[in-house]
Amino acid sequence: MKNKSAQISIALVCLVMGVLLAIQFKATENYQTDLIPERIDELTQKLNTVTQQRDALEEEVLSLRDKLINVRETDKAMKDLQDELQKVQMAAGTIPVEGPGVAVSLDDSTISIQPGDNANYSIIHDTDLLILVNELKASGAEAIAINGERITAMSEIRCAGTLILVNWTKIGPPFVIEAIGDPDMLQSGLMLNGGHLNTLKFLGLQTSVQKMENIKLQAYSGPMKITYAIPSQYQEKAE
Amino acid sequence: MWVFVIFCLLVGLVLGFQLPVLLPLVYTKYMSIAVLAALDSVFGGIRAYMEESFDNVIFISGFFVNMLLAAGLAYMGDRLGVELYLAAVIVFGVRLFNNLGIIRRYLLKKH
Repeated sequence: MKNKSAQISIALVCLVMGVLLAIQFKATENYQTDLIPERIDELTQKLNTVTQQRDALEEEVLSLRDKLINVRETDKAMKDLQDELQKVQMAAGTIPVEGPGVAVSLDDSTISIQPGDNANYSIIHDTDLLILVNELKASGAEAIAINGERITAMSEIRCAGTLILVNWTKIGPPFVIEAIGDPDMLQSGLMLNGGHLNTLKFLGLQTSVQKMENIKLQAYSGPMKITYAIPSQYQEKAE
Repeated sequence: MWVFVIFCLLVGLVLGFQLPVLLPLVYTKYMSIAVLAALDSVFGGIRAYMEESFDNVIFISGFFVNMLLAAGLAYMGDRLGVELYLAAVIVFGVRLFNNLGIIRRYLLKKH
């Protein structure tokens, strides 16, 4: 009797164990056996981090796309700005330029001064240069330099004793005014009857105008101090 | 008698394979420990039966309690970060081999 019940209970337990074994077999067969839980944890973590990375990268892609669009849009604006800047720089004389033009040479008179003559008439004055520069500008000169000193938007030409100051640099005779522009236009503009060059010639000063195929003008490299002027109209336009 | 036991085991296996139950992956570890405990209990029972010191209550309760305790401890260990299931594997494994050894000796003695 005891044996019988023992057998029955062992058999029942074996039945339960069989079920458990089968379930376990099925489970391990279904999930590959090499996928032990540690590995699964590791893989899960990896998956998580990779997913996070992917999300981050996706965001980055989006933001980069936005930036690209912005850049494309602003690229046009940048190009326009660059062009504008270059134009303004050329006008201001802050970048070196080259092109066809004329070279005007001026020197003091070689005629010896007679007693009673006004010595002022036999030398080149700052006003002479100023007038000539003005005439060149009127004739369409795009860039001008006197003895290599570039005339900028803020350049002065003034007398300093025996010398002349251009851009606060002392220059003396002989003077060479180089101007870039249409050489014919510039020359005829200077040679006009009643023009200043004519007057200088008449006074006996050495002048010559030479057409040049290519003139290279250096940029003005000194400081440009703008303290009081602030753009007003421009800002309004920009807005 | 042994034919009956093996028959029951086979019936259980077939039943288990036929059951539409798929154990979630995370629980396979605990299930394996439980199966190990069950195996230990069964062989312990067979050994006791051969030693003629078999106790039905001890056997049945041992089977279920060991199983649940083993799985439960393994689970606890995982929650605590201690690999307690290793302890269960070692203990049950050693006992399993002990029981098997004793059963083998009884069988040898018998025949």
